[in-house]
Amino acid sequence: MMQWIAFLFFASMTLLSALGVVFLSNIIYVILSLLSTLVMVAGIFFVAGAELVGALQLLIYAVAIAVFYVLVLTAVPWEKALKKDSHYRIEGVLTFPILLAFYLEIILVFLLGVSVSPKGQIREFIQNLGNTQVVGSILFSKYFFAFELVSLVLLVGMIGAVIVGRKEDKTYEDSTS
Amino acid sequence: MESLFVQLLVIGIKILVILGVVLGLGAYLTLVERKVAAHIQRRPGPMVVGWHGLLQPLADGLKLITKEDIFPRAGNRFLYNLALVLALVPAVLVFAVVPFGPEFEVFGVKVKPILTDVNVGLLLVFALGSMAVYAIALAGWASNSKYALIGSMRKAGIIVSYEVVITFAVMGPVILAGTLSTYEIVQQQINQKLWYIWLQPIAFVVYMFAMLAETGRVPFDIQEAEAELVTGFTVEYGGIKFGLFPLVEWYVEVLSLSAIAVVLFLGGWSPINIPFLGFIDPLFFLGPLSPFVWFILKVALLFLFVLWLHWTLPRYRIDQITETAWKVMLPLTFVNLVLTAVLAPIVWR
Repeated sequence: MMQWIAFLFFASMTLLSALGVVFLSNIIYVILSLLSTLVMVAGIFFVAGAELVGALQLLIYAVAIAVFYVLVLTAVPWEKALKKDSHYRIEGVLTFPILLAFYLEIILVFLLGVSVSPKGQIREFIQNLGNTQVVGSILFSKYFFAFELVSLVLLVGMIGAVIVGRKEDKTYEDSTS
Repeated sequence: MESLFVQLLVIGIKILVILGVVLGLGAYLTLVERKVAAHIQRRPGPMVVGWHGLLQPLADGLKLITKEDIFPRAGNRFLYNLALVLALVPAVLVFAVVPFGPEFEVFGVKVKPILTDVNVGLLLVFALGSMAVYAIALAGWASNSKYALIGSMRKAGIIVSYEVVITFAVMGPVILAGTLSTYEIVQQQINQKLWYIWLQPIAFVVYMFAMLAETGRVPFDIQEAEAELVTGFTVEYGGIKFGLFPLVEWYVEVLSLSAIAVVLFLGGWSPINIPFLGFIDPLFFLGPLSPFVWFILKVALLFLFVLWLHWTLPRYRIDQITETAWKVMLPLTFVNLVLTAVLAPIVWR
């Protein structure tokens, strides 16, 4: 009963703030509703008993990622933030089919994931070990290859960021002459 | 049904106690700070209101409440007020996972002196702790003032760097304890007869650095920078609204992070430790109260240490702060992580 009330609260708040992200005109309000969406999704995870995922959702999405948006957007002067019309109307219309394809892919992947996910086999496992250990042991046994692949991608991204961000000894004008 | 009622009652009492202690203590720590600062600089400090200025915080509060509420003309009133809420709520919420002492029994009801003993308490602490950055960024933006904006940008830069550092620094104790629950970490230290500071001195020093940076204390108070930014992001706030930001940043957050440092590195409520041998308790005559006294004593010592640094050191430049985070602190935490992984089997035996 309590669980249902909590779930309905978090779910409706998620939907409301997600709508806010789309329809609000002030970009600071938009980023705040995005933040609210992320926090509410963490709430849904907590209700579902996935404490580790919920805490990571808060730590990574609501803090580490959203803070970069806030950092950039707070540097925008307030007159520009209130601008009503968009600069990218035509581009937006042109990208719509691609966006639709992406959403279809997400739905497809979600349905496939639901069909192959274990049904009730790990419940006993969770009761014996607790949330964090279960996630760790599954990640490092069943999905080890995918895990290593993702960490390789992140490593490549990190090296790329270091190379892009490093100071050059010579400017580009010097090298061309 | 009755047990549910008792549980709700216990939770309600816990919430009231935590709120009362945190906010009341937060207000009175202003007096402590002024007294300590004054004695460091060889002057008496507040002496007029009450005995040795003991009623000074009440007078300050009264003065702040009765002041005019000024608002900048081109600011955004909704965000201006929202920033206050965003500052206060996460800072106080952190105390929900701070364990104040061991389990005890009152009238046959077992009570853990911690509001919620979640499995991932430690992750929540750092998630909530770094939510403070939104309050500061919003306060800077909504004030529509250059000083406030520069201050909030600096703070955001610091938090982004030190959030990474502090998370890696606490991984050492987490590996040794094998759990993320704050209550269990202290219990493990008591079982293993070991304060983790003995095996994690590097992590402790890095944690203290990151704590100073996250709470905006000297030498990392670059977002306030009284000399150049005239208190940074709070410059457009007046009255009690102005009073709230330092209260949250300098007192409530320092308190919560000190408490977490005590939990992680100094064995929570356990008395003085000799590594691997046991505990010596010079306060044994206090009986069941002694763990609570130990916990408060350790937090108070850490808080006084922070004050001592605050009134002794000069301020770093912003690029120096972030450079230290990425080039010194982060590699140190990696070295510490590897060392801990090697040492951990000795502790687990």
